[in-house]
Parts: sequence; structure tokens; C-alpha cells
Amino acid sequence: MADSEMGEATLERKLAVYRNLDERFVIREERYKGQQFSHIYFMRLHHMRSQLQSLIPKWKPHLPVNTVLGLEEGKECIIVGTLYKHMKLKPSILDEYSKERSAIPLVKPHNFMSTDDHLILEDESGRVKLAGPMLAPSAFVTGIVIAVHGKETSEGDFFVEDFLEAGLAPQVDRPLDSREDKFVAFVSGLSVGTNAFNPLQFQLLVDHITGHLGDENEQRISSKIVRLVIVGNSMHISHGFFSGQTVAPKDHAKLTEPIRELDIFLTQLVAALPVDIMPGCNDPANYSLPQQPLHRCLFAGASAYNTFVSCTNPHHFELDNVQFVGTSGQNIDDLYKYSDAKDKIEFMERTLRWRHLAPTAPNTLGCYPYVDKDPFLIESCPHVYFVGNQEKYETRLLQGPDKQLVRLISIPRFCETGVAVMLNLRNLECHALSFSTNL
Amino acid sequence: MSSGDIKGFYRQKKKNGGVTKPSSSSSSSKKSKSKHYTGGASVGAPNAAQTPALVTRGGAIDLKEEYGDEEEALRQFDMDMKYGPCIGVGRLERWERAAAMGLHPPLHVREVLVGLASGSMACSSKFKCLWEGLV
Repeated sequence: MADSEMGEATLERKLAVYRNLDERFVIREERYKGQQFSHIYFMRLHHMRSQLQSLIPKWKPHLPVNTVLGLEEGKECIIVGTLYKHMKLKPSILDEYSKERSAIPLVKPHNFMSTDDHLILEDESGRVKLAGPMLAPSAFVTGIVIAVHGKETSEGDFFVEDFLEAGLAPQVDRPLDSREDKFVAFVSGLSVGTNAFNPLQFQLLVDHITGHLGDENEQRISSKIVRLVIVGNSMHISHGFFSGQTVAPKDHAKLTEPIRELDIFLTQLVAALPVDIMPGCNDPANYSLPQQPLHRCLFAGASAYNTFVSCTNPHHFELDNVQFVGTSGQNIDDLYKYSDAKDKIEFMERTLRWRHLAPTAPNTLGCYPYVDKDPFLIESCPHVYFVGNQEKYETRLLQGPDKQLVRLISIPRFCETGVAVMLNLRNLECHALSFSTNL
Repeated sequence: MSSGDIKGFYRQKKKNGGVTKPSSSSSSSKKSKSKHYTGGASVGAPNAAQTPALVTRGGAIDLKEEYGDEEEALRQFDMDMKYGPCIGVGRLERWERAAAMGLHPPLHVREVLVGLASGSMACSSKFKCLWEGLV
């Protein structure tokens, strides 16, 4: 009955082998017994120090490695420790209790850097102030572990002559035998429930991805999309609802309306292709990292499908043996507040070189007080590193010294830009999908 | 936190006037935690002048002069910075963590802790670190 002149063959969507690797971010066996954050810092220092110690002999083989307490004045050596950046403009809870009540600005600046910032290196034995022009405080943040070469001065500071970051972690080879194009779509910052959300614009995206839009050529392209990743802030629950007070019955609708609206869209998507959804800072998930997966009860319609996967933030998965790691943006946004770089992609590069997804956690970024691990450490360099809820779409292909190749993607907020991102699994090429309802 | 406890606490007279700390201001700030050990400076210092009825965590009478070698070994393990911070994590858990990290913590410490778990004198305070409840 198929009319051969019309050429209507059923297009089948491509498939890719998916492995969810979020287990290390799920809070399952952990129990809070009143511990503080010293343990996560200890685990971070121990792990990073052993990595740096394997790199130091290739960097400066003839220098001794000391502890901070073992420093001798004038003696050249290498020390390894965690950086602490002292920032006088960093907001502190103690300011609320300070008796001086000086002119504390009510308007918070987006960035807390000042020319007075200085760096301190700390290990288990002690801490020492780092001096010298080699380390520009504006490029560093509290929480990263580095090795520094220099000597102690008469003032008790450590004059830095050179420093070593761990650099990109070793990468598992990407399979190169795939001959067909398979795409992964990323979208972020849908913000259903706000005025910025344009349902028609999002419906256009849904229709395009599910293949209900366009002619055969367009449908052929859409059939190559193997997965959609929704990178945080899919809905916006007004923060007034998080105060812990009972929600009045007349406000119930305001609370559930965005969730229901999102579920309707999601059901259309999961009926067509596998979807990963990650929580963001405005989603109804926990505040501190790692954010736990959004609960299935929020998605009555979509959770009935086995193509619906609720993920943690950060999210780590594998598609056809290509390693993906991404966050909903909190880690990069926090770096933006406490350090400087020419663009967000550079912040992303730095986190890879420091081998830590969120170095400012737990200092300025909320984090669970782990006792026996630091799940944000990057042991193996991913092939694709994506960050959501950014201002604009940016991408770069980063090359590492050990033949690592990483595609860095900054995904913009869809409610503001109408831009989603498509990544080709075959060659890691990236392009933007732009939807507009402006006639 | 009964008032009887507080009165009993203050009724004790030391044989030697100002031998041990704490000063009166710190002991008054700690009176709300009457079950907590407040003779900080007398740790490990056997002193006949010290009052015997100092209460410590868990309400057990703590005669610091008699803590013995086992407790000493456990405290040395607590204070060894190589195995990380000791506060907020139990001694056995910290030992297991150190072993998993490949730091080779002393085996006799684990024997003491495991022995305590099965022994008749199951003193639960020995599983918590030195500073538990005090910091």
C-alpha cells in the first residue's frame, strides 16, 4: 500500500548504547553524623597529591618535596597542598554579627575579587602564604591542589618560582570506527513556570526532535538524534515556596502548574527518544552538590516510559563508549564569582586541568560533607564536557598533552536564547539549533 | 541537665586551689552541658588534687589517671595527621578509611577497637575520637 512514488519509507531513529555512571554522585549509604568538611578536603588532598607526586619527577626531578612544616628558610624545594584564596570582599556570615556595621553594600557585586587577594597553601601540617609574581590570584580559587616550587623567605612567606597543576587526566581512547552520524541534543534553562518561558518555542524544539516538523530531509536529520539531555533549570519554582511555610490552597496551582506543564512536554519527548533530565539550581531538588535526581513522582506522565532517565547533577554517562560529563552550571558560575577568565570555556578548561569539577565546593558552593571520598575528582578525562544555564553558546575542542581530546560545550539558557546544541558522536563536532517565534 | 548535677558539680572542693583549668568563666559557659568533661588541662595528668567525680561523655565516671595504654594508643591514632582529621568520624571508621587509602594504619589499633566491640567492657566512648562532644 505504500505508494512508491511518494517514497514514504518509515524512518527509524538511530540507537546508541547508553551507560549511566551517576552512581558516585548518588547519596545512598552516606549518613550524616555531624561531620564537618575537613574530611572531604583531606580526601581531595590525598588523592591529588598522589597524582601530583607521580608528575613531579618529570617536572623538576632534582628538588626535594617537603611538607609545609618542614620548610627551611632559603632552601629551594617543592611543596604540595590545597590552595586557599583569602578574599576580603568574600561575603562572610560573620559580617552580620560584626558590631561595626560599616557600609556593607546591599547590592552584591557579581564578582568578589579584589587586588588584595592573596593565596595560601595548606597541607596537613600547616599553611604558608604564597608570594611572588608567578601565581596570579585572579586565576585561582580556594580548593585546588597544586605543587609549587620555590623557597621560604625571611618573612615566612613562600616565594613561588614555578607551579604545577595536575593537568588533563588520562583519557580512554574514543572509538574511531563509527561511520554514521549520531547526534546528542542538549538543552538547558527551559524555566517552565516563568514569564520568560515561551511554550511555542519549546514546542518547536520538541516537534523538531521528535520528527514531527519539516520535510523528509529534516526528519532524516532528526532520526539521527539518539538522545536528549536536559541540563538543569527545566522549571522554575518560585523561591518563596522554599521557605518551609505551608502553601495556601490557592497557591497550590502555582506550585504544581509548572511541573505539570513540563511533564506534558517531557511525555512527548520520551515517547520519541531517550531523555536524560538533570536538576539545576531552580529545580525542586536539593541545594547542595551533588544534586540528587528529580523524583519520578514529579513526572507522572513521562516516568511511565523507560526512555525517561532522571539524573544527578553532575551527570556522567557513556554513549557508544564516548564519555560525557556535565553540570547544570553551578560549578562554573561559582568560579565566575571568585576568579577571572576570558570566557566560561576557560573556566571549564581550568576545572579539567585541576582535575576537579567543583573546586570551590565546599568553600563557597554547597556540597555534601563526604567522609571517605570526593566524588568531584576527575579520574579520567571525558570526551565531552558540558555546562548548562550559561549566557551564550560557546564551544571549543581542547587538546591535551597526552593526546586527550575534549569537546567543551557551554549550553545557553533556552528561555532567553532559544538555542539548543547538537553534538555529533562520530567526530565531536558541535552546532547550534536555534528556534524563534518572532515573525 | 538536672540542677542537682550542677549543684553537685560546684560543691566539690579541690585540695589545691588553682591547680587545674578551666577558669570559672569557661565552666559557667559549659554548665549547660553538664555531662561534658570540662577539666581540659588535666588530660593525662595524674593529679591527686583532681576531684574524682568529673563526669564525661555518656555520663560515665572518667578517671583520667587510669586510661591506660590502650586509650593512649587510640589517642595517638586520633592525633596522627597522616590519617586525616579525627573529629566527626568514628575511630573504627577512620581506621577503615585509612586502610582503604593504602596508608597502612597500625594493626594493633584495630585489634583494640574490634576487641572492645566484642569485649565485656564495651565502653562506647572508646569508639569516638578524643574530641567527641568537646569541640
